[in-house]
Amino acid sequence: MSLWYEFSKGIYKENPIFRLVLGMCPTLAVTTSVQNAIGMGIATTFVLFSSNLLISIIKNAVPKRIRIPMYIVVIASFVTIADLVMAAYEPALHKSLGIFVPLIVVNCIILGRAEAFAGKNRVLPSILDGLGMGIGFTLALLALGLVREILGNGTIYGYPVLGSGYNPMLIMILPPGAFLILGLYLGFFNWLDRKRKVS
Amino acid sequence: MNKIIRLPVILCTTTIIAAGALAIVNNLTKPRIDAQKKAALQAALTQVLPRAKEGVIVPVKRSGKLEYYVGYARKDTTNKVGYIFIARGKGYSSTIETLVGINTAGIIEGIKVLHQLETPGLGAKIVEIRHGEQKPWFQVQFIGKRKDDLTVDKDGGTIQSITGATISSRALTNSIRQAIEELEKKIGGFAKVDNRVKPDGKNGIPCITGATVPSLSPVRSTGKASSDR
Repeated sequence: MSLWYEFSKGIYKENPIFRLVLGMCPTLAVTTSVQNAIGMGIATTFVLFSSNLLISIIKNAVPKRIRIPMYIVVIASFVTIADLVMAAYEPALHKSLGIFVPLIVVNCIILGRAEAFAGKNRVLPSILDGLGMGIGFTLALLALGLVREILGNGTIYGYPVLGSGYNPMLIMILPPGAFLILGLYLGFFNWLDRKRKVS
Repeated sequence: MNKIIRLPVILCTTTIIAAGALAIVNNLTKPRIDAQKKAALQAALTQVLPRAKEGVIVPVKRSGKLEYYVGYARKDTTNKVGYIFIARGKGYSSTIETLVGINTAGIIEGIKVLHQLETPGLGAKIVEIRHGEQKPWFQVQFIGKRKDDLTVDKDGGTIQSITGATISSRALTNSIRQAIEELEKKIGGFAKVDNRVKPDGKNGIPCITGATVPSLSPVRSTGKASSDR
């Protein structure tokens, strides 16, 4: 049952964006559309999964003093792999995510999970932790991207949903929109949490 | 002392292994990435100069630097149909790079923005494709225009600028006009007569010269071209 917990905690209870408030840079920057959110989410999940896997395998061979640089080398390698594969097979998505793919290296969720979990736990829980965190991250990006794309562009995944008469709220796809929506989501989840604790 | 040697050796080994793994992945994906890039360039070139699709597009270089492309309708480099060049202009938040195809008479056949980082929702609308349409509406306006038509409406021209993004619209428009002027100098002026065999009604290339071929499009048929060129 605890394996299930390691997987599921990333989705709600310790959701990297809404509960831990980690990885804000890509969260705010790429959630202008559903497509970008999904692409970024999948790339990050891949890196989380792979780095957690590898780090949990090599953890006993990693000297304490240089663990951070070694983790970064591992993470940067997987990010580069994701970057190259995306450029080869999904060039349009690769172009639209731009600089934010290489920047996954410094996404603090990934180093955070390596340091806090994969460096201390066995392989299977680490994989599940990485997958769960990745999925939680993807869902959170999707939640932001969905609202921002609908309000800011009148579309979902490029398809118009609000009709041609809708005048898009431009601010939603500009940076302030990201902060506004994120703030509302954070407030909502805090409210939900408090309500659950009371009852 | 032992530690001072041990730690760097471990870290160094790790990076060497990582570099090796990346070299392998790079080797595996490189052919595909190169092919994607080449295909994207070829698609962009034929998009802005559709009549060269069956022929060839040859880059013209001066001291190793690309000056412009020449498009031919046939593979054996006969029947020159036009030129392709890259226009660069400083926009609101980025340098806007546009690929422009122009025929031998100096009429724009197509443009494609290659690179821009303008404000999403405002300046970035230079590449917006409205739902149900195939091409970005802002760029479609340039098709059939001559150098002298290229100013935005706020400057008294014919290009309808994007609401709230006059700087981006103007940057793109002016960069193309200036690039055409430069091209004119390099090639020694455009031909006086439109050499198009037949305007393709489907593609909707508006005919402006009016003198050699009957006009199909109501866009602009001023006969200006035949008088001043």
